Amino acid sequence: MNDAIVVENLGKRFRRLHTDRPGSFKEAVLRGFRNLRLQEEFWALRDVSFRVPPGKMVGIIGQNGAGKSTLLRLIGGVGQPNEGEISVNGRIGALLDLTTGFHPDLTGRENVFVSGVICGLTRREVSERMDEIIAFAELEKSIDNPIRTYSTGMQMRLGFSVAIHTDPEILLIDEVLAVGDMAFQQKCLARIQEFKARGCTILLISHDLSQAKQFCDEVIWLRAGQMVARGTPEVIVGEYVAELASETRRRTPASMPEVHTPDGTELRVNENRFGSMEMEITAVRLFDANGLPTREILSGQPLSVAIEFKTSRPIQHPIFSVSISCESGFICFDANTAEQNLKLPIIDQCGRIVLHFERLDLAGGKYFVDAGVYEKDWAYGYDYHWHAYPLEIRAPKSQGVLRPPQLWELSDLAKDMETVDGSLRPKLLEQLGAKL
Amino acid sequence: MKTLAFATVLPGRTVYLRDLLRELVIREMKLQYKSSLLGVAWSLLNPLLQLLIFTFLFRVVMPLGIENYPAFLFCGMLAWTWFQISLVQATNAITGHRELIRRPGFPAPMLPVITVTTNLINLLLALPLLLVFVLISGGELKWTALLLPFLMLLQFIFTLSLAYFLATVNVIFRDTQHIIGVVLQLMFFVTPVFYSGSRYPEKYQPILKLNPMLHIIGAYRDLLLYGKIPNLATLGVIAAFAVLFLFLSYKVFISMRDRFVEEL
Repeated sequence: MNDAIVVENLGKRFRRLHTDRPGSFKEAVLRGFRNLRLQEEFWALRDVSFRVPPGKMVGIIGQNGAGKSTLLRLIGGVGQPNEGEISVNGRIGALLDLTTGFHPDLTGRENVFVSGVICGLTRREVSERMDEIIAFAELEKSIDNPIRTYSTGMQMRLGFSVAIHTDPEILLIDEVLAVGDMAFQQKCLARIQEFKARGCTILLISHDLSQAKQFCDEVIWLRAGQMVARGTPEVIVGEYVAELASETRRRTPASMPEVHTPDGTELRVNENRFGSMEMEITAVRLFDANGLPTREILSGQPLSVAIEFKTSRPIQHPIFSVSISCESGFICFDANTAEQNLKLPIIDQCGRIVLHFERLDLAGGKYFVDAGVYEKDWAYGYDYHWHAYPLEIRAPKSQGVLRPPQLWELSDLAKDMETVDGSLRPKLLEQLGAKL
Repeated sequence: MKTLAFATVLPGRTVYLRDLLRELVIREMKLQYKSSLLGVAWSLLNPLLQLLIFTFLFRVVMPLGIENYPAFLFCGMLAWTWFQISLVQATNAITGHRELIRRPGFPAPMLPVITVTTNLINLLLALPLLLVFVLISGGELKWTALLLPFLMLLQFIFTLSLAYFLATVNVIFRDTQHIIGVVLQLMFFVTPVFYSGSRYPEKYQPILKLNPMLHIIGAYRDLLLYGKIPNLATLGVIAAFAVLFLFLSYKVFISMRDRFVEEL
C-alpha cells in the first residue's frame, strides 16, 4: 500500500528580511542598490522525515515557531522545500489559515463557489453540495452577506465545511478549529473521525494536548524546525509536557528575595515556587461565602480563590490556573483560564483574578490551593506557587476525595421499590430532591 | 523535486484550469462592479464618456481633421484600455491575491491570465457598441472584421507577457505599481490612440514606431474602419517577440514563485 504522505529530509529555509534591505525602488536607488542581498537566513524546518499511511491521523505538536504551520503548508503545496522531498497521494482538503480563499467583499455563497472550484470541484459539483456546505457551517441566515460581516468563528466554520465537502483524501488542519465554539469543535472532531474511518488521512496541528492524545494515532513533536520525537500520542505528549515543565524550572531565577504569603508561609524559589518571574503572583487569598478571608470552610460551602498579581512589563494573554491538591500531592481539582476559552487581555500592571466555586464538595481534610500563571501557549510558567496556601475542609471524617450532597434512605424492598428495570421510582427521586 | 499526484483528482488538468479560469474571471467581474449602482453598464459608460470628451476636444476645440473621428477614437480607446487596465491590475495580481496564493494547490500562473481575460471581457462587452458606431458614422464593416480574433490573440499574448513580468517584479518592489501607472499614462499620449500616427514628425518616426501598441492599434483600425489587411510583417515580428517574451517572463515568474508565499 502506498503511503498517503511521504516526507523525506525536508528542509525549508526562510529569509528574514534584513531591516536594511530596500523594499522599494526608491530606497534601492537612494542607497545605490547596495544591501540588496543583505538577508539573514534560517531554517524553519530541517531534516524532517516521516511517512503517513492512509487512514491515519497524525497530530503535530510543538511551541510557536517550531515549524508546524510551515510543515503543513509545504505538504499542501504552498511554497517549495529547499531540501528533501514531499510526495502526497490524494486530493488535499485543507484549512491552513482563516483568510485563505475568501474575499471579504463577496458573499459567503460566492466565496464557496470559488473555493470549491479551487479545491478541484466542478461548478456543478459545487452547486450540488452548496446546501450541505451551508447546513454544516450553520450559516443559512448569513450565507448571502459579504464575508467581511462574518466573525472569525463563522469564517472558520465555512472554511472547514468547504474543506470537508471536497472529498478530500488528505485533510490538513491547522489549529483554526480553536476559533469555533465548543459545540462546533465537537462537531468538527466528530466529522474528522468519520473521515478517518473512511480512510482519509489527517494531519492536525493542535495546541490542545488532550485532543491530540484522544484522537491521533501518532504524534510528531517539532522543536525549532527539527523533529524531536514521533510515536504513540501518550508517550510523546508526556515527554513534551515534561519538557515544558523543565523549561519552567530552567527559567526560574536562582535567587529571589524571600517572600512570605499573607499567612506566613515562606515562598522559596525552586521549592514551592517556580517560574520565570516575568509576572509574579503576589498573593493568593481564600474567601468564604460571606466574602471574608478564610482558611477553612465546611464541605459543600462556596469558596473564592483570588490571585493577586503584578508585572513590570506587558504580558500577552497569560493563562491562570488553580488546583486543589491533597497533602500527598494528589490533585483533586484543576482548572485554568485557557480551557474555558477565556482569553485574557494584555496585562501590564497589577491586578486580581478570582475563581468562584459555587460549592466545594470535597471530603474533609487538609488541602492546598496551588496557583499559577503561564505563558500564553503553556510554553513555560511565569510564577507557580505550590503547596503554599493551606485550605481545611471540615466534614465528618471519611475516606475518599469527594463529598457530594447525599442522602441515605432505608426502605422495605417489597413495598417501596419496584425493580421492574432496576431503576428508582420517580416519586422517590423527587423526595430526594426536595430534601436537598 | 516535488511530485504532487493530481492525476486521480480530475478528468483532466485542463478541465480544472478552465473551470478555475471561468470562476475566477466571474469573481473578478463581480468584484469590479460590486456595490456600484450601474454594475456592468460601467464597462460601456466609461468608454462612452471618454469618447464624448475626446471627440469634443479634437473635433471642436482642436480639430485634428480625422475622418469619422468617433469610430477612429473608439477603436484606439478600446484596444488601449484593455492593454492599460490589464497591466495596472496584473502588477497587483500576486500581491493583491494573497488569499489565493496561500491556498494549497492554487496555480499561481493563472492570476495574470485571469486579469488579462477579465479585461478582454470588458472589451468584448463594449465591442458591439463600437460596431454600431462604425455603421452609424457611415463606415461599413468588411470581411476583414472577421480577422479580429487573431489580432486579439496577438494582443492577449503581448499583454500577458508583460503581465507576468510586472506581477513578479511587484512582489519584490512594491512601488512598481505606482511606476507602471505613471509610465502607462505617458504611453497613452505617445501612442496614437486619439490621433493618427502619421502626424509624428519625420525624424521621430523611427523611435516612436518601436512601440508595439502603435502597430496593434493601427491594425484594429485597418480591420474595422478601413477594411484592409494590416501590415502582416510587422505584426509577425511583434507576435514572435511577444511569444519569446511570454516564455521568458513566464520562466521568471515560475522561478520566483516560491518566494511569493514568503514575501506576501
